Amino acid sequence: MSEQAISQAEIDAVFPKVAQIVSDALGCELDEVTPKASLIQDLDAESIDFLDLVFRLEKGFGVKIPRGKIVEDARGPLPEAEFESKGIVTEAGLARLRDFLSEVPADRIKTPLKASEVPRLFTTETFCKVVIRAQRAAQG
Amino acid sequence: MSGRFRSFSFVDRITRREGGRVEGHFGVPLGAHFPASLMAEAVGQLAAWSAMAQLDFAHRPVAGLANAVHYHALPQPGCTLQLQADIERCDAEAVAYSGKAFVDGRLALELQDSVGPMLPMDEFDDPHALRADFHTLLGAGAAPGRFGGVPEPVLQDLQAVPGERLSAVLQVPEAAPYFEDHFPRRPVFPGTLLMDALATLSLQLAQQSAPLAAAGPLVTQKVSQVKIRSFTAPGAQLQLEVVLQDIDAQRARLKVSARNDDKTVATARIEITPRGAA
Repeated sequence: MSEQAISQAEIDAVFPKVAQIVSDALGCELDEVTPKASLIQDLDAESIDFLDLVFRLEKGFGVKIPRGKIVEDARGPLPEAEFESKGIVTEAGLARLRDFLSEVPADRIKTPLKASEVPRLFTTETFCKVVIRAQRAAQG
Repeated sequence: MSGRFRSFSFVDRITRREGGRVEGHFGVPLGAHFPASLMAEAVGQLAAWSAMAQLDFAHRPVAGLANAVHYHALPQPGCTLQLQADIERCDAEAVAYSGKAFVDGRLALELQDSVGPMLPMDEFDDPHALRADFHTLLGAGAAPGRFGGVPEPVLQDLQAVPGERLSAVLQVPEAAPYFEDHFPRRPVFPGTLLMDALATLSLQLAQQSAPLAAAGPLVTQKVSQVKIRSFTAPGAQLQLEVVLQDIDAQRARLKVSARNDDKTVATARIEITPRGAA
């Protein structure tokens, strides 16, 4: 999947509102919601929180974020069989994640990583990028 | 007799299903304890029937989120709730909807922006039986008066700091008729009954706290930012806590939560007002 790079200026433009929405959805303090904070590891988010968060981002930004899109985008052009093997993300998959989730500290993306645990990597900045991609998609 | 499709079912008949709108009704039996939170359950169940049918009963929504529930009137025994729900979106991941309950044409409850995560139906109930029940609701309807009430919440070990906070242990029963219906293959303590217990505790704290303590009978006016984060099994002991955020002569706002050991099971905000002020 080719994708125009997302600039820091674009991320900075949506970050304050994304951070407020994350804070509201998770019930945590706004100052805990840093760009690099992992929602699951640092802010105790659970799967229901992701559902809540995606709905709030859709309403807050007036965009559509298709279900499953975030994980699908993370896998990118790699077929599932090349991205994971027996539920564990392959070396090619890890390389793809380091590239796609460039906001995630590289030392968090290490083997063995279960494919089902990829959302554990997602940070506030990941969701900024989700919003920016949805805004771009809406503009065609 | 099995409690399935009776002991925790709050739609007697579905009268209209068109586009995203679904309408139906439920008769509140005489002599059955029916807390106000069950009006929200009834609206949620109406939306759930429509959503499950849309997904051919392969998935069902379980618990979830509600942005706000506004209470305008208390349900009286013997009244008929006219129910409506508007389904905003529905897929194998979640159903999102809003809805209302009316009594005698007057708005009794409003549910705004609710989201139910979808889970595999097989885990909770028999898809074929549910499909048959759905056709009953679309046709002649289910037998009215089959709901026998729910027990009052058992709150123990209450510890209060009046004007500040109140905590209690909610003993979830090991067995109760509603577990046969919610759900037949996997009993789960209903989130609306958990919210009822938290509202009961919130009312107690507001009644002990100045200046609302002098305001006479109080009612729950609004429950917002409801989030049910995990399932509660029969026999669980939940630690409930309600904390006053602010209070004046017209209203108390509280932050409420339920925990099971270290895990937060549910969170919400509750607003209490003097009866008649809502």
